[in-house]
Amino acid sequence: MPSSTSNFKGKLGLPRLFFAKPSEIVPRDYERPIPQVPWRGMTVVVVLIVIAAAAAWEFYCRSIGYGPTLNDNEDLWTMTRRRVKPESIIIVGDSRGWFDLDLDELQKGLGKRPVQLAMGGASAYPALADLANDENFHGTIICSVVPYLFFAPPGTPPMQNAEKAVRRSHTQTPAQRASQYLAMPLEEHVAFLKQEELTLDDLLKRLPIPNRPYAQMPPRLPPYFGTLDRERRARMIEECARPGSELQKRIQQIWLPLFTPPPPPSYIPKEVFLAKMKEAIETRFRDVIAGVNKLRARGGKIVFVRLPNSGGLKALEDRDTPRTQTWDPLLKGTAAPGIYYEDFPELSGFNCPEWSHLSAGDSVEFSKRLVPHLRKALEM
Amino acid sequence: MLFNSLTFVVFFIVVVTAYWSIRSWNARKNLLVVASYIFYGAWNPPFAALLFSTTAMDFWLGSRIAKANGRHSRRMWLVGSVCMNLSMLGFFKYGNFLLQNFQWLLAQIGIIYQPPHLDILLPVGISFYTFHSLSYTLDIYRGVLQPTKSLRDFILAVSFFPQLVAGPIVRAGDFLPQLVTAPGLRMGQFLWGLLLMTLGLFEKIVLADTMLSGSADRVFSYAGPLVALDSWLGVMAFAGQIFFDFAGYSICAIGAALCLGFHLKDNFRFPYAAIGFSDFWRRWHISLSTFLRDYLYIPLGGNQVRPVRAAINLVIVMFLGGLWHGAAWTFVVWGLLHGSYLVIERVIRVFFEDARWANNFATKFLAGLATYTAVCIAWVFFRASDFTIATRMLRGMFGGHAHGDAILSGREMLQIGIVTICMILVHWSLRESNIETAVTRLPRWIVTTAWALMACAIILTQGSSNAFIYFQF
Repeated sequence: MPSSTSNFKGKLGLPRLFFAKPSEIVPRDYERPIPQVPWRGMTVVVVLIVIAAAAAWEFYCRSIGYGPTLNDNEDLWTMTRRRVKPESIIIVGDSRGWFDLDLDELQKGLGKRPVQLAMGGASAYPALADLANDENFHGTIICSVVPYLFFAPPGTPPMQNAEKAVRRSHTQTPAQRASQYLAMPLEEHVAFLKQEELTLDDLLKRLPIPNRPYAQMPPRLPPYFGTLDRERRARMIEECARPGSELQKRIQQIWLPLFTPPPPPSYIPKEVFLAKMKEAIETRFRDVIAGVNKLRARGGKIVFVRLPNSGGLKALEDRDTPRTQTWDPLLKGTAAPGIYYEDFPELSGFNCPEWSHLSAGDSVEFSKRLVPHLRKALEM
Repeated sequence: MLFNSLTFVVFFIVVVTAYWSIRSWNARKNLLVVASYIFYGAWNPPFAALLFSTTAMDFWLGSRIAKANGRHSRRMWLVGSVCMNLSMLGFFKYGNFLLQNFQWLLAQIGIIYQPPHLDILLPVGISFYTFHSLSYTLDIYRGVLQPTKSLRDFILAVSFFPQLVAGPIVRAGDFLPQLVTAPGLRMGQFLWGLLLMTLGLFEKIVLADTMLSGSADRVFSYAGPLVALDSWLGVMAFAGQIFFDFAGYSICAIGAALCLGFHLKDNFRFPYAAIGFSDFWRRWHISLSTFLRDYLYIPLGGNQVRPVRAAINLVIVMFLGGLWHGAAWTFVVWGLLHGSYLVIERVIRVFFEDARWANNFATKFLAGLATYTAVCIAWVFFRASDFTIATRMLRGMFGGHAHGDAILSGREMLQIGIVTICMILVHWSLRESNIETAVTRLPRWIVTTAWALMACAIILTQGSSNAFIYFQF
């Protein structure tokens, strides 16, 4: 009597093929050689060494001030980008938008919890353009502007960082998505998982190996000074906010070369290079205006904000990217509202401990004071 | 799914645990089929359907070839299989390339034609699985393989996840026999598989991505003229990067397969210790070079024809080998360069092979260095995205930019130098041996320490997410 399985097989040709036993193929004798060593013992020793080394490294990293935090990578950005709804309030821009704007206070004041899409060391433009091109989106954008980053030409790190994240949000594979979900619990508990600071590559970069004269090296990035949560809300760590701390001073000195434009490449005449830069900035103005108009045409809103800076970095930014050449033409060209912190006494009294960002505590107070200005600018 | 991702770690643990927990061999194979399709679908789920359809077609065509009476009808079914596979590859991989070249050709005779840009997404690993599948019908046609009656087994042979997307190109004839009887769990084999996976990931994440790729990228993307030292170091960095990247993937695949009880053949055999270019191709991407040899070079006549014809055959094979790697003329030039190298080598051998001095160690070592140098020169075309970059690089390498820029830091130069020298020394010391013999002979504490250090270094790099270079092919 045929079984139900054989009936099933009999009815369908494909399953019969699928379950048929192979018969004609003769096993071949190819086998890889396996080294004859005491595998179990060796494996146990390896596992113990790796666990001990990882624990020691974790202990050491914590002892020198590192703590667990999420890595800000394109997959975390994509995860947040996916939360955007047609009427969301979205923060785009640079790390000041990240550190200085407190989501709880903005939610209280604006009635909606903003989605944090600002990125460290990134230009706001790629995210802005992405939202402007998103036909479903007609919400509100709060755009942080650091002119040196906002007007960064194509091909520079601020643009590449942002474009990488935007691109990932359109091309993320299920595997990349799963990896992000698996990585987050680990990153929230293990201090040495810092993709831009404690990797082997970064440790090698710190080796005191002399360079040839004229070797072209990118400027150093600041060390760990903030934590990031699953909403991508950044908070400055206490050690960095502590007045006069060593970490604070180190970061201050890193901002200066980082915010100084690199010299023109040797293979392009200086005048040609400067003309290209000028053209790139003009193109950016045009593209931003086009993006803002597109957004407005769908009923969306945008407000530009200039967030606090201090000390030597403020002097450098004011000198190299003066308001009259960056901020003012941006507002004029887009006809969008803008909030420049220096224009308002209640916003201008904050000190950035490492010259570029507010401390966790100040970011709450600053956001609270910013809300009325945002409401007015957005006509809420 | 990348081997160097957390998703794969979890996926592999789940699959291996389930696989060895199940007693039924059929159920285990079913599990591997499902796992392989999940592995592939994790990139782009719809492409799993494409993979299935080409596999199913070749399964059917394989049975038709076996059943066909007469040479003519066998050949017709084979042509059907070759056309189906190559047209799939042609559409997805070469569609835009062909259109662009068609446009250029028309422009030469004064016809302005603007072809539409086909927004085609290249299915990952299509070049590899097409060849996995094609080997089945080709071997049945050649009479060296009987068709399998189990579609499931054939699906598994084509899609077995360790080798699915970036090789080795495992022929159905090598894999199907391993599906006849269930392998038993052998602890030594399993743990050796894990060690190989550690070695493969170390090569990829630490050596290729951390130590070399940054310098290679900086040199090849630099828009200005470079001094000779930086140009050569950049090319050497890429030579190391592509070896560790691809050999690392192959070793991972071999290790993962061993953990599941399957045996895949070597894909690399210390290629930078090759003496001559025929030796190089016996050591580099062995599964591709043997594929091209068996299914293209020998059918064209191989060595059994007049020398000039044999030389033309070699160039044709390497031309197609270059094109297999990517839809760009730079890859074609890379292949043609290797074809020319092989022809020149043959000529040299005719004159000097029997000379006594040609067989002493010093000559062999110098010939090995010359081979490495020529291979590096060919890599320029492989890595450069266009001929402007390739020309600039070659000019830099041969002193054409005396006042060029020096961009590499002391650390980068040191990394490239140390890794390259160590790589060449290891390749030369193992060129007549294999890694299994080396591990057996080395003191246990050295193997254990090396394994632990590699694992620690992988953890320290925090799992770079760079895709393997050969995925794009």
